[in-house]
Amino acid sequence: MRLVKRGITLSVLALLAVLVASLAAHAQDKTLTIWTMGGDQPGWVKWLDAIAGNFEKNNSGAKVKITYYDKSALLVALKTALRAKQGPDVVYHEPDQMELVDAGYLRPLDGIVPWDKVQPWAREAWTIKGHAYGIPYSWYTNEIFYNKKLMAELGVTLPATGQVSQADFLGILKKARAANMEPMVIGVGDRPFPGAYLTFEMLLRKLGPADYQKLLDGKLSYADARVISVLRYAKEIVDAGALPKAFATLKLSDSYQVFFQRRGLMFPQGTWYSQRAFAPADKGGQPEDFSLGVMNFPAMDAGACNNCRTAALSGGYGVSADTKQLGLATGFLKEMATPEMGELWTTLNNSPSGVLFDPAKVQNQYAWYFKELDRARQGSKYFIGIPLNFVTGQCRETFIQVINKAFPAGLVSVDETVRQMNEACYKG
Amino acid sequence: MSTIPPRPPRHTWRVIGLFLAPAVAAYLLLTVYPVLRTIYNSLLEIRPREPSVFVGARNYVQLATDKTFWLAVKHTVIWATLAPLLEVGIGLLLALGLYARVPMARFFRVAWFAPVLISYVVVSIMWSWLYNYDWGIVNIALRAVGLEALQKAWLGEPRFALAALILVDVWKWTAFHMVVCLAALQGLPREVLEAAEIDMCGWVRKLRFIAVPMIAPTLLGLLVLGFIGKMKVFDLVWLMTQGGPLWSTETVSTYVYKRAFDWNTFDLGYPSAVATVWFAAILACVILFVTLFRQRDTLEY
Repeated sequence: MRLVKRGITLSVLALLAVLVASLAAHAQDKTLTIWTMGGDQPGWVKWLDAIAGNFEKNNSGAKVKITYYDKSALLVALKTALRAKQGPDVVYHEPDQMELVDAGYLRPLDGIVPWDKVQPWAREAWTIKGHAYGIPYSWYTNEIFYNKKLMAELGVTLPATGQVSQADFLGILKKARAANMEPMVIGVGDRPFPGAYLTFEMLLRKLGPADYQKLLDGKLSYADARVISVLRYAKEIVDAGALPKAFATLKLSDSYQVFFQRRGLMFPQGTWYSQRAFAPADKGGQPEDFSLGVMNFPAMDAGACNNCRTAALSGGYGVSADTKQLGLATGFLKEMATPEMGELWTTLNNSPSGVLFDPAKVQNQYAWYFKELDRARQGSKYFIGIPLNFVTGQCRETFIQVINKAFPAGLVSVDETVRQMNEACYKG
Repeated sequence: MSTIPPRPPRHTWRVIGLFLAPAVAAYLLLTVYPVLRTIYNSLLEIRPREPSVFVGARNYVQLATDKTFWLAVKHTVIWATLAPLLEVGIGLLLALGLYARVPMARFFRVAWFAPVLISYVVVSIMWSWLYNYDWGIVNIALRAVGLEALQKAWLGEPRFALAALILVDVWKWTAFHMVVCLAALQGLPREVLEAAEIDMCGWVRKLRFIAVPMIAPTLLGLLVLGFIGKMKVFDLVWLMTQGGPLWSTETVSTYVYKRAFDWNTFDLGYPSAVATVWFAAILACVILFVTLFRQRDTLEY
């Protein structure tokens, strides 16, 4: 009798469990899941919340669930979840994460989203094998931000273009070190690319876009005389003590604080600098009285393209190939690709949106920043893509360990750098 | 009258099986299956959304000439050898101090054990600050005593990074070994120690010839377990240096992780081969240690 009672109780519990599970499944029918980075950037969060708000208003019963990840953890989570068909509907990804496309985990977006509302070159930059896979939320160029007050303290007046010669650039850095400043603030503790800014921006200017592309594609040897001359010059900068001693372990967010608080003179960064720097000071942004300027990487002696600069897509939002919410996902991306949301992104983050919008409508206290950028970028020729967009496998690992970390830290010689990079990347 | 106990009735075996089944199922699903699946995957080139391709021993042949892998093996073996020796050695000394009832022993026991309770995330943040070149207390202390020339980027230089990480690991786990050694010391038979005192045996000789040899099996067990544990070291390395600078802190576990998730590929075949080889190596070490250190004689006193 006791056994019978126990059996009935277990059966009822099992039935209840099935009922609850099916109710939960039903509740997820109109839930759109999004995995993204940017949770530590207030402007980014507000922008996504605004898109989600509009989307939910225009799609009755639909709910948006946004999960924020730390950037490095996001790709790992995606690789695991997408493989198990447990990934989100809308995926944040970046141009150097092409394995998601190659493996067929992202749906081509041709004919799905309004491409007439996206920056034309941005769509081009993210078209792979004839298909586009993401709505770019922002794009950036690599610049050198500097502290105007400290530059004045050194008695240096930069030309209107913000670009000086190799010799003058090195001279400024040496002066800064002698004046107890941090001449160039870079930290590679948690990012695989900042240490390469200096070397590769100079390589772009020295080689010109065509040969620079060959270098990235493994078709030009690192033993090329021009490459070696740039590496030697970069070594002079390193040996002059231009980079912080804590360079190898300094995290990206901490490097901002070193620039703001510890007499940092120059700060090479992408123009997504503004996403962190223009947050309130108590949330990690620059102090209100911080005097920010924008200058160029040095003009290389006999450089093939000294007005070249790197431009790249920051990242974008795509749709999982296995989504069961295709309608909701494409609807969300359509809400993202509107001039209003492009304008909102730029207003909140002070970095240009990948979506077309009217810049005159962006009115905030940072108009001066865009003027500085425009001045520095005047007459520029853009090379689309950072090195990590092109290097994969062992070449990528060696790039991260050698070019990004060891070489700027002064741990390897020019010859050793050439040897290691050729071994890993040069295809002959 | 028969003294042989009766066999348990059949329904008792069924009940035993019923109670064991969940644990066995969990073990098979979460331990045995992943191991077998990893070994199987090591023979494949895994293509997402396409059938995997059988490549046989190709991944293992590639592994044999993979310089980064062998560097990782070297670092891991160094770590697995040095760290347990330091942890058990220092732990034993601390345990002896507590056993000898030094002043404030109770406070020291808690204070020394605190690092064991801290998570690796907190430990890595804390020690990253301690090791910071500009504001870390290690370099500040060196500057304070006039030894500026000795200050280093402890985690930023290949010569020092591995040792710096091993030190953190030893700092975290020494007190665990201290507690085990203390328990072993406190479990020693009093009559043997009293007999030694009667024979006018001094404190040092008592420790050296009686106490420590009697707890030798415990020490050996700690060393072996420590070695096996360190062969899988990952958390601290990943949080503090990610295998850098210049692969100087790369361990086998971090290398497997990088090949599986950081390289621009979904192919898990090669990282599975690395994991399989390392699993075999650790298993071989376990069998070797168990064979070598099996106690044949029972200690009589």
